[in-house]
Amino acid sequence: MMSTLRTVALWLERRLHLTKLWNQTAGHPVPASTGSWFYTFGSMTLTCFCIQILTGIFLAMSYVPSAAESYHSLELLNYSIPLGWVLRGIHYWGSTCMVIVMMLHMTQVFLWGAYKYPRELTWISGCILLFVTLGLAFSGQVMRFDTDAYWGVGIGASVAGRIPIIGEALVHILLGGPIIGSDALSRFFSLHVFILPGALLAFVSLHLRLVLGKGINEQPKPGVLVKRETYDKHYSEIIKREGVPFVPAAINKDIVANGILILVIVGLALFVGPNGPGTPADPTIQIADAKPDTPFLWLFACAALLPNGSEPWLFFVFPLVASLLLFLLPFITNEGEKHWRRRPVAVAIVILSYLGIGLLTYEAITGPWSPQMDAWSGLPIKAEYVKGRTPLELQGAVVFQDMQCRNCHAIAGEGGHRGPDLTQVATRMTNPQLVRQVIQGGGNMPAFGKNLSPEQTRALVAYLCSLHPPNVPPAREAVGVLKPIGETQPTPSPTPGNVAVRGEK
Amino acid sequence: MNFSWPSILLYTCCAGSLLAISGCDQLPGKPKESDRWIAPDAIKDFKQLFGTNCSACHGDDAAIGPSLSVQNPFYLAIVPKDVLKKLIAEGVKGTAMPGFAKANGGDLADEQIDILVNNLAGKAATQQTSGSGKTSSENLPPYSASPGDTDRGSEAYNQYCAGCHGQAGNGGKKAGSIVDPDYLHLVSDQYLRSIIIAGRPELGMPNYQEFVKNHPMSPEDIANVVAWLASHRHGASEANAAVSPTATVSSQ
Repeated sequence: MMSTLRTVALWLERRLHLTKLWNQTAGHPVPASTGSWFYTFGSMTLTCFCIQILTGIFLAMSYVPSAAESYHSLELLNYSIPLGWVLRGIHYWGSTCMVIVMMLHMTQVFLWGAYKYPRELTWISGCILLFVTLGLAFSGQVMRFDTDAYWGVGIGASVAGRIPIIGEALVHILLGGPIIGSDALSRFFSLHVFILPGALLAFVSLHLRLVLGKGINEQPKPGVLVKRETYDKHYSEIIKREGVPFVPAAINKDIVANGILILVIVGLALFVGPNGPGTPADPTIQIADAKPDTPFLWLFACAALLPNGSEPWLFFVFPLVASLLLFLLPFITNEGEKHWRRRPVAVAIVILSYLGIGLLTYEAITGPWSPQMDAWSGLPIKAEYVKGRTPLELQGAVVFQDMQCRNCHAIAGEGGHRGPDLTQVATRMTNPQLVRQVIQGGGNMPAFGKNLSPEQTRALVAYLCSLHPPNVPPAREAVGVLKPIGETQPTPSPTPGNVAVRGEK
Repeated sequence: MNFSWPSILLYTCCAGSLLAISGCDQLPGKPKESDRWIAPDAIKDFKQLFGTNCSACHGDDAAIGPSLSVQNPFYLAIVPKDVLKKLIAEGVKGTAMPGFAKANGGDLADEQIDILVNNLAGKAATQQTSGSGKTSSENLPPYSASPGDTDRGSEAYNQYCAGCHGQAGNGGKKAGSIVDPDYLHLVSDQYLRSIIIAGRPELGMPNYQEFVKNHPMSPEDIANVVAWLASHRHGASEANAAVSPTATVSSQ
């Protein structure tokens, strides 16, 4: 039995040269110092990619890439097909983890100076892999074809449309027409399932080929500088001195790290579950709080926070300059110090990037940028802000709800947060100031002058003037009661509601 | 039979995985039916329909609305079903009550309006059978009536309402002005009538039976007070600012 197996193995070996292949790949010598936890992120990214391929194949068996049926097929996976939701969960969290682990891998490579001579092309192929992965994450979000996907594609298309000369044609190719429908979904499906995974496989092969060819970066030591003339010799000396085969000598930590990664992804899928599908992709549905997936949240926050008119900078100039810098990095600092302790600028860049992306992502998760579209009809005001009011003030509260003020303004923390919370608005604004704000708008609030009758305005402002704590008096005019221009009769006392808008009538 | 450690480990892992997979359907990550998106048209649950469309202004079991509670037993006892349906579907012109039917620019399908009306009517029936008879529709004033006499209304006001709303209606210790022209401009006569009959117990305003102890307001008193209040509107001598749909659907 054993001799038969041995004969078969030898037969295969003579034809496939498996030993040679093994020695050149898994068994290739690496510096012993690279058997470190910091060197595990690359293999973790590859593991994520394998998980994505595997779960993606199974998902494709149920998913229907058409605008009419995609949503239903995801609901089938979520609710009907046994463990379909687990599959979706693993694919979703696998994607998120892939981007995160890839970012960590990139950070490690950057801080360890591994992009310097002679590994420039390894870095560049890695950058291409980053963009392809982000492309996969984005096109994967489109596959859900819910409201997040719909508006995500809309913004993606408008970003692509900013590219000079080819922008318009590119948008047409991406969407397959002027609207986001089945044609767009089919194109993103092809991208997500064929083109981008194919590109990823090709560039992963190139990346690994370069890793094998140029060797894994040794653990840098402070003061040991990279020089083009001497580095190759220096590296071969390291390999001679402390070289060990990657398998089995340096792979242990990779195995453990990847095991933990798989547990984390499966754990997130089982305990947090898949994402969506949310509200269907229908632009006529008003109550749709669209947000992109995690890797793009920071960009979403940028777009929401940047001042008006800065979009060309954010969506065209910044990505262009950032990508150029990223790709050209190995040529900007090709030699010299590798250790992060001697590269304060590199450390500062990493800290600032993480802080920036982290804070923007946090803002995007918590930021109240969308009005709460159903607050006006479905969110009662708490009793303490209704009780003890006059009939006019109560009607003002009705106007407040009916005019959908509540969709943007919270009372006692409940309601939209697009505008300021009005729980204590009377302590900071006087009756005339409130009237002006309601009628003219301003500070991102629309003007309601044309939509409100003088009676509605007075009632509304009367209610707002009642919004102050019992022990804090309402704000008052520093100059006393304002007299409307041209009015001769004495102005009534400034009880809430009767100062306002007489000049309008 | 010999068991080695590796085989025990293998069997434990297999059994554990099987258990884990069979228990997957109870794990917190499994999407819940309640998270599933439902088309607004397909919502058939009264509580959800009322909560998302009515509660912000009319309150619900837990919250007080700034406008009249449509769950008020007196209001439910007097409002005819067809009027309620018309109110929800078409709204009340000149007031903040919008029409909720799709034909009137709202979001509700006819079937959903029927669900709201039938459930509210059902509540009325339950309250009448379980209550002390105070809200029995036989003893109650009609839902709508033509406006009464202004001068008599003034007398009736002084008798029943002035204790809280002040002698001239300009507000007293317990309640604010009820003759503010702005307020009166924003509400219909029918709204005033409904509030007088049903009261706003959640805000401390009693119903028409309780203004004066053991002396409920008569239907004439109610109509007269409404006429007196309406006379304080801007341009009250002209046509009423707010037109109630009950003018056409009056069933009484």
